[in-house]
Amino acid sequence: MKHWARVAVVLCMALVSTVSLARELPDDPFQSVMWESMAERFMPDGEIVFDERVRVMAPLSAENQFHVPVTVDATALEDVVEIVAVADLNPIPLVMSLRPTEALAFIGFRLKLQQTSPIHVGVRTGDGVWHVGGAVVDAAGGGCTAPAAAHGNSSWMQTLGETRAYAGRDDDSTARMTLRMRHPMDTGLAAGIPAFYLNELAVRNDAGKIIAELDLYEPVSENPTLTLKPRVGPEQMILHVSSRDTEGNTFSFPLDVPAATGL
Amino acid sequence: MQWFAAGCGCALCGSASARLLDYDLMAVEVASKSWAVLGRTEYFSMDNGGNIVNVAFVEVPDGVVVIDTGPSKRYGDALRVLIEKTVPGKPILRVYNTHHHPDHFLGNQSFDASVIAAPQKVIDNIGLEGNGFADNLYRLLGDWMRGTNAVAPGIALQADREEIGGRAFSLYYLSGHTSSDFVIRDDETGVLFAGDLAFLYRAPTTPHADIVSWRESLNVLSGIDKSLLIPGHGPSDDKDESLQQTGDYIDWLYGSISDSVKRGLTMNEAMALPVPARFEGLGVVRSEYERSVVHLYPGLEDALYPVIEVSQ
Ligand SMILES: [Zn+2]
Repeated sequence: MKHWARVAVVLCMALVSTVSLARELPDDPFQSVMWESMAERFMPDGEIVFDERVRVMAPLSAENQFHVPVTVDATALEDVVEIVAVADLNPIPLVMSLRPTEALAFIGFRLKLQQTSPIHVGVRTGDGVWHVGGAVVDAAGGGCTAPAAAHGNSSWMQTLGETRAYAGRDDDSTARMTLRMRHPMDTGLAAGIPAFYLNELAVRNDAGKIIAELDLYEPVSENPTLTLKPRVGPEQMILHVSSRDTEGNTFSFPLDVPAATGL
Repeated sequence: MQWFAAGCGCALCGSASARLLDYDLMAVEVASKSWAVLGRTEYFSMDNGGNIVNVAFVEVPDGVVVIDTGPSKRYGDALRVLIEKTVPGKPILRVYNTHHHPDHFLGNQSFDASVIAAPQKVIDNIGLEGNGFADNLYRLLGDWMRGTNAVAPGIALQADREEIGGRAFSLYYLSGHTSSDFVIRDDETGVLFAGDLAFLYRAPTTPHADIVSWRESLNVLSGIDKSLLIPGHGPSDDKDESLQQTGDYIDWLYGSISDSVKRGLTMNEAMALPVPARFEGLGVVRSEYERSVVHLYPGLEDALYPVIEVSQ
């Protein structure tokens, strides 16, 4: 199989010299039938390696398939440019991408899972290499605790964008922010309800400099709950969060990071 | 926000099994003319068929009173056979459902719905969630569940006491494990059937829990005069040990998860935290703790994180 692929590549190169060398995809330790497609669609260009330094924390089985918690910690890698998460077997696989310009390579989020699925997280470093980690989450169910849908509540439009948040510190140079924003995050796949979701979120410092940028997609759970770790100095500071959804509604708010104790 | 119609589909229902599926139920006489049928202190599995729950029955002068009916029609049928073997020829006059969790009421089908009784709120909860639970158990238990449907009790109770077949029972309307937890005391023997408000040597479960009300309910149960307590899961208890253990665990659980939320931890980070050594003897405590993080986190995030002023 591999041999033939290589022959094909050589032929292509001989015929069309501008074609770049096809990537050799490593075998997927999570044995996803969709791995090749996920890699081609969502981790384009650059070498791909499975790397234990990409820690993907997810439960073995989904207690609530509408809210499957995932935490990615790639802080053991240097120079992380982008983090992309996909749930291979979802009808819409792409969950979110993060560019942690001035934040640690860390994110917590929750996603909707239609069925048991591998989750792949690609972490691209400055040299263009994709470092990949993942997990398989069993969605056979346990509690059947589907939450009340926001659409069952006539006042959900009024609370759109309502935000609760935590801002604190892990240490002198690392803040931790967890925010929870009311939004239905409609996928567009339920009959009669068009796609409507929060799709951009940015965190800036007082000077307007980008700390982290996120693209969110349909599989992110209702009322997105996100945890980030901005790099900060020891002094008290304000983080400015701005977000928008697919209908152009914008939501902006400040988060107050306390000074490091002992300053 | 949902892209599939039902929360819990049933893609692989009824996968055939060559094994003989037999619950092998055993009645243990825990007080005079009172029997408990004790389940394993595990989670649902193909191996245990959902026999992870305690049910009980009491011989009263004119018949039999049953407390909870187990996880499936197959279990309900086996329970009826066991009752007939233990107390031959006596009619079943009353069946109580302590709450709407599937392991406690999905055997209802084997009994006459017109003698099954519970508080209205339990009946409502069964109506809302019963069939979803049954679908879910089909996926977890396969053939053990064949033919099982959710059957709601035919009688809504509100009295503090009722006499059944010449025996008085005290009835307590509590909550906390779910939104309606029903507790029954046999006034003759003083045996208290506590349902899932009390667990013993098995980690409490929290998919519908309100920990603050659960704590209050445990205080009420401690104050009730009793000779013996039959917990929803775990061995029978004559020292209120189940109340003490359940209270200790839910207090720790609530405190620990609140603390994780206050520190801004992700659910996954909270799930990775250690469980204190004193709870190691509780069956399946590690997995129940992790499930509880998922159950309790959203409510505590809403309660503990301040609302931030948002400009549009
Ligand atoms: Zn229960």
